[in-house]
Amino acid sequence: MESIAHGIMIGGGFIGPTIGIGLVGANYLGAVGRNPEAAKFLGQALVFVGLIEVYGLLAFASTFFVK
Amino acid sequence: MFGLFAADGPEVHVAPAKDFVWHGLSITNSMLWGWIVLAVAIVLLVWAARKVTIHPKGGAIQYLEMLTEFASGVVTGAFDDKNKGRKYVPFFVTLFFFVLINNWSGLIPGVGDALQVHGHPVFRPFTADLNATLGMGLITMIYVYVASVREIGGFGKYIRHFFIGSPLNPLYFVIGCIEMLTDLTRMLSLALRLFLNVTIGEIVIAVFAYLGGLLAPVSILSPITALPFTLLELGVGALQAYIFVVLGVNYLAIAVNSAHGHDDELEPETKAGAGRIADVTGVVNV
Repeated sequence: MESIAHGIMIGGGFIGPTIGIGLVGANYLGAVGRNPEAAKFLGQALVFVGLIEVYGLLAFASTFFVK
Repeated sequence: MFGLFAADGPEVHVAPAKDFVWHGLSITNSMLWGWIVLAVAIVLLVWAARKVTIHPKGGAIQYLEMLTEFASGVVTGAFDDKNKGRKYVPFFVTLFFFVLINNWSGLIPGVGDALQVHGHPVFRPFTADLNATLGMGLITMIYVYVASVREIGGFGKYIRHFFIGSPLNPLYFVIGCIEMLTDLTRMLSLALRLFLNVTIGEIVIAVFAYLGGLLAPVSILSPITALPFTLLELGVGALQAYIFVVLGVNYLAIAVNSAHGHDDELEPETKAGAGRIADVTGVVNV
């Protein structure tokens, strides 16, 4: 039972960040496609990837503490 | 088959383990590795700094110069006034190299679960310890607070910059208070972000090394299955060092830019960080 709960925690927790990172990447590529000048914002996009990523990792990390 | 995977996974460690006790002070494995890395990094970087010349003859020093230039560009780029940002370059570039070297040195084979004595690893990446990252977050935020109060010119003015309009307006008052609370969580979020990324990276590498070991009788496949994730962690380590510095600098730049802005009533955040974000989204929404 516990491993099912952990599976749901990890799976559910990663849905949001993956959608978020997909949106960041899609919008970045869309911006570069429309306006190649926007390619210089890759660093900014990566910062947002890092900001989003941590919530998935939080879900993963909490599986070690939730009994 | 499934019982094989579910019964006993690889041993994962979220917290550092005690290596030995020295005069009642417990020395953990992350502290030990942190000191070793710090000593090596100081010696190497001081040696490299003496080698830097105006006309370099090639070699690894140039990559170091490139990284330093990149990091100092990140720091000065966050401020409206480039000269204003120049005096904050030493602290943040040091921070960048500290996080980067610690993240990368944690991926050296032998650091982590591979080398164990008495059932716990001897070495652990320094940044895979919440105490370490919390200390780094604390130092960064104290530095940011002190520098912003000094730049704005007084504690009262610093508190004032959280409020968009007059604090007597109840709505602005509540928003300003929430803004201050958000400011206090920044230290924790800086620390947790770095800690979780490095720790989960370690766990993922351990899990895939374990899976590789299951497939072959002798654990000959372990390095091969763990290699892609180790390479991925190199990128993550560099990205986290970058993010740590960018966020720290932007927290400072918000306050500094608001102090030297022409319009005091404007929300400071829109000027510093969100201004550039709006540029990106503006391009997309056209």
